Amino acid sequence: MTLHRQLASWTAAPLGASTLRALVAAVAAGLASSEAAPAAEPAAGAARVSGGSVVRVSGDAHSGYRLLRNGEPFVIRGVGGTARPELLASCGGNCLRTWSAAAADERAGDRPLIDAAHEHGIAVTIGLWLGHERHGFDYRDPAQVARQREQVEAAVRRFKDHPALLAWGLGNEMEGPTGDGDGAAVWREVNVLAELVRAIDPNHPVMPVVANVNPAKLRAIREHAPDIDILGVNAYGDVAGVGARLRSAGWTKPYCITEYGLPGPWEVPLTAWNAPIEPSSRQKAAATFVAHADIMADSRQCLGAHAFLWGQKQEATASWFGMLLPGGEKTPRVDALTRAWTGSWPADRAPLLKEIEMPLENARVAAGITIAVRARYEDPEGAALSYAWEVVAESSDRRLGGDAERRPEPVAAAIVRAGDDGTAVVRTPATSGPYRLFVTVRDGAGSGCIDNWAFFVEP
Amino acid sequence: MTHCTPAIKRRALLPIHLPFALLLGITTAATAQDFGDFKSWTLTSKAWQALERQQYEEGLTFIAKTKELYEAEAVRQQAGLSDFLPADKAQEAWALNDVGTCYFIEAQIRERQRDAAAAAAAYKKLASSYRFAQCWDPKGWFWRPAEAAAEKVKQMDFDSLLDK
Repeated sequence: MTLHRQLASWTAAPLGASTLRALVAAVAAGLASSEAAPAAEPAAGAARVSGGSVVRVSGDAHSGYRLLRNGEPFVIRGVGGTARPELLASCGGNCLRTWSAAAADERAGDRPLIDAAHEHGIAVTIGLWLGHERHGFDYRDPAQVARQREQVEAAVRRFKDHPALLAWGLGNEMEGPTGDGDGAAVWREVNVLAELVRAIDPNHPVMPVVANVNPAKLRAIREHAPDIDILGVNAYGDVAGVGARLRSAGWTKPYCITEYGLPGPWEVPLTAWNAPIEPSSRQKAAATFVAHADIMADSRQCLGAHAFLWGQKQEATASWFGMLLPGGEKTPRVDALTRAWTGSWPADRAPLLKEIEMPLENARVAAGITIAVRARYEDPEGAALSYAWEVVAESSDRRLGGDAERRPEPVAAAIVRAGDDGTAVVRTPATSGPYRLFVTVRDGAGSGCIDNWAFFVEP
Repeated sequence: MTHCTPAIKRRALLPIHLPFALLLGITTAATAQDFGDFKSWTLTSKAWQALERQQYEEGLTFIAKTKELYEAEAVRQQAGLSDFLPADKAQEAWALNDVGTCYFIEAQIRERQRDAAAAAAAYKKLASSYRFAQCWDPKGWFWRPAEAAAEKVKQMDFDSLLDK
């Protein structure tokens, strides 16, 4: 019987300790038999670099924990995302985190991301995506569970010997982005998968990733998933308190912050029409720097952190979480991380917002009128800046848990004119409703900045 | 920052406070401001609502009234604590909670008015003087305004580094 069919024969019902031991033994036997067989030809695009790493968690709850990578202490100075490993390295970062194994195979130039990362000395926390019940995955359905185990096994086999591999990120908020997240079926399966992964790859720790922490969730994890190595925690506005909340709930294992940076759209004040007020680019940089310091202060139990997002995405707005512009330019948040990681600013810094005259900000305005605005930026090295303005409707495709959102299209003819001094004249849209005015500023040398201001066009 | 309202359940003011509070309200300069029943949680709620409506001067007026009437009691309550009160007793420090929250709202208003110096002063006052204030979040927990203020002070310190 092939390994995956052996696994499929186990139901998703709760597994007793003896059953679990038998499962692990079956996996180990399957591994031995597959290794005795002639090696299959790697799939097209498979990672070509070989010579695996060995990563361990050392220490204990009393003396504290640390990560050892090939025997050397490794503090995670990471980001979540797949862009520009060479930029991350130049900023002093040392780790990328992906949300899926497929992302490690994404092309970065002429080679897979994981090879490109390795070339630049960047380790990779490879995500093993797990189904979410809110998306229809049923952890009580043996067929779905078996299929997912096959996928996890295949991904682990594919990358386990890559030297860039740091750890396995098991799932991402699969317990649900809201609510207590204490469903036993999910956590029991997480434990099965943790054992499965370790049976195939004993050389890298397994780290399930959760949406923040609360006592009920931690109780469920301790009870149903006791065999995980590290707890990955995504936390934003309240990330400073994660360590204390873990300890007060009796969590004694190590943890890693797997997403952080600034308050999310669900954590900030709203306009009168319930649009989240996005922090400015300067505020985001400050929030990221301070959050990093808060996280790293917990040096006994926290193994490091991955800032979110090393790239850009539409989540409430096109600019909320992204640290890079669509063209790959770094923003002030990246400079803040460089400062946090190295103690110094980079040689070329991103433009900084200095002054604004923004009558549109959080305002209700008439349709079809022209309004003069100004957002003056300065480049720390004195480079000339280019400004690109656009008006975009407030997103009507808001999702939970970071699910993909559709980006609204810019409003045509909304920018009457714009100068290279940060001034612009905006014509408010003819259709009533909520909008945002965006400005993207670039220094032409690989750095940029983006800000936006919400306004409402009255009927 | 998460929206907050003062603790849902509130002990009634001691009788001695209410007439005194009303007297102060009558003898202050005539104003269109509606201070309601002058209770600390009423004034704090009105300050939050003013912040949300972007009626900043109105919010500052409510905050000023809260401080005028209750800051002395807040200082006394803070001095009597060595740690945060548990959730079921948090309302015993009602003046501390509301005055602390008002300082947080004040700082938020000043930030939106782009008065960084005044915002920093309010955050610092809160962080240093009202450490054990707690504020009820409608999502179902108490958060700590002084800790949030301390974070804000750190962020503002970093912001000042950006221009150097």
